[in-house]
Amino acid sequence: MSELAEKLAPQSSLAADDFSDLRENAQRALMQHGFPDLKTEAWKYTPIKLLEKREFQPAPASTSSLPELPFDGHVLHFDNGILNADETKLPDGIKLTPATREDFEGIAYGGREDAFAWLNLARFGQAWRIGIEGELDSPLVLAFTTSDDFAAAVHPRLFIDLADNARASLVETQSGGGEGMINAVTNIRVRQGAALDHVIQRGGGDTVRVARTRVDVVRDAEYRSYVLDTGARLGRQDLNVFLNEAGAVGEIDGTVVLDSRQHVDYHTSIEHCTGHTNSRESFRILADGTGVGVFNGRIHIHAEADDSHSDLNTANLLLGEMARINAKPELEIYSEDVTASHGATIGQLDDDALFYLRSRGLPTEEANRLLKYGFAAAPLEGLADETLRNWLLRELELVL
Amino acid sequence: MLKITNLHASIDGKEILKGLNLEIGAGELHAIMGPNGSGKSTLGHVLAGRDGYEVTEGSIEFEGKDLEGMEPEERATAGLFLAFQYPVEIPGVNNAYFLRSALNAQRKARGEEEVDSMNFLKTVRETLGQLKMDDSLLKRAVNEGFSGGEKKRNEIVQMAVLQPKLAVLDETDSGLDIDALKLVAEGINRLRDPNRSFMVITHYQRLLEHITPDRVHVLSDGRIVETGGKELAHRLEAEGYAHLATEAAEA
Repeated sequence: MSELAEKLAPQSSLAADDFSDLRENAQRALMQHGFPDLKTEAWKYTPIKLLEKREFQPAPASTSSLPELPFDGHVLHFDNGILNADETKLPDGIKLTPATREDFEGIAYGGREDAFAWLNLARFGQAWRIGIEGELDSPLVLAFTTSDDFAAAVHPRLFIDLADNARASLVETQSGGGEGMINAVTNIRVRQGAALDHVIQRGGGDTVRVARTRVDVVRDAEYRSYVLDTGARLGRQDLNVFLNEAGAVGEIDGTVVLDSRQHVDYHTSIEHCTGHTNSRESFRILADGTGVGVFNGRIHIHAEADDSHSDLNTANLLLGEMARINAKPELEIYSEDVTASHGATIGQLDDDALFYLRSRGLPTEEANRLLKYGFAAAPLEGLADETLRNWLLRELELVL
Repeated sequence: MLKITNLHASIDGKEILKGLNLEIGAGELHAIMGPNGSGKSTLGHVLAGRDGYEVTEGSIEFEGKDLEGMEPEERATAGLFLAFQYPVEIPGVNNAYFLRSALNAQRKARGEEEVDSMNFLKTVRETLGQLKMDDSLLKRAVNEGFSGGEKKRNEIVQMAVLQPKLAVLDETDSGLDIDALKLVAEGINRLRDPNRSFMVITHYQRLLEHITPDRVHVLSDGRIVETGGKELAHRLEAEGYAHLATEAAEA
């Protein structure tokens, strides 16, 4: 067994609860498959070796503080990975309850590429189910924060369920310090006629973050995500959207801004499982210094998915000579009656544009910043909620 | 205002300007005409300080100050403005934000107070109105999705807001229909001032019908080969530039 498995999943110490058999099964699978290595295609750019160098401790007693958010929201604070549900007041439209075995039904993982999901399943603490009904008056905020002495490996597990015709904005933020790891798995259901705007803002620090989200979208339901990631020592995000029934819409818009000593990897997939489904994805990475960014965007149109439409675009800016970006659109199309387009570019700041701005009196540094902002802001401009959009754009400005 | 002496300039080692002399006094408007490839646009870019344009000999004095070694933004702050032949599209950068940032960057560098957004918007709206451009342009990205004519008019808007001492207009008239041409000409005339000078680079004399040049210069093969009044532009329009090649060869 590898050093990493010993460190993250010691044989003893599985929690004894309603999920014991699931946990034991997951532990066995993890031991059998092991963690991904450089030969595991989906993980070949993700340097999880970093985890081997870290010593994980139990969660610290200190608490981390909530970031100041310039909007009203119903906040669930995951403090060093733990949600204190007693302190949380929620409106009628949001029901927070412990997850049950029913929530885990149908969950299946594969080989070593799913090691972190197995790890989460073996080790999660309290799993929560969040049910959303009707139209939320303000966003539901999941705030994940860590304290500077946070050195634990925690495995949050969430089920989010939008009832038929519900409408909500869900904001996920991650911030704080410490050399621990947050390995989250989230399952989202967007039921018939419902619509979810999922805003994800992550940034900074030495915390390793692994996040895996699966979204199931059914008839006439819409899921849109807007990601602003301003870097991490190591971040790996998998976002998999399943369009299961006719009329389902899935959109992913993301901006990643990286500097030295940062590695962030986004693997997204959109599955057109049936006909009359639509998707769109636009993803941008800016890498400066020695930053490394990875984007793998997969669109999979199944044979049954006639009359489906998909557009995938990724544009990337290399700002530092030592920076690296690996961007790969991946289209798999098995139906003939579809429209699908994709594009990928990697470039540098445009000299003509830079000269134009400077010729108007903007100092080089400010001209650079303005060009980077213009490039980076594009995927976030489509967010309908103006308050949330302005918040993301301000957060973006802070790192450019 | 501007004094260019024996200017030699090259791009990638190829000499384009070959000993150009030109003087523009305060309040004057000079037209630079000439065939394609004569060095007109190069002159504009050299004045604005574009990277890659190397001055190998001669000097450019702007208000008694040598431009050599000055960055493009320093030249802009000193009062030099280049209206681009091909204005650049800058996706994601809001037109109003860009223009105000530019104006304030210049003012800050000159030790002046920044303009507040109310006064700024008032000025810009007024200017837009004069050029028959829609207010919505302010919220759009710089030049993105603008028609050719809109881009050119947007250069005039920028000039009007930045109030330069010397404006170099590089073929601002090309690609404009007659109505847009008149609007651009009016935009230039509104800014005529005893303390402001213009260098209008153009291929045709039609813009000069609407603005009155003090001098017309003919640029050929990197040098001014002829200088005259407004009537020179008419003659060139009638005769074309073909004879210049012969003269240059004979010289």
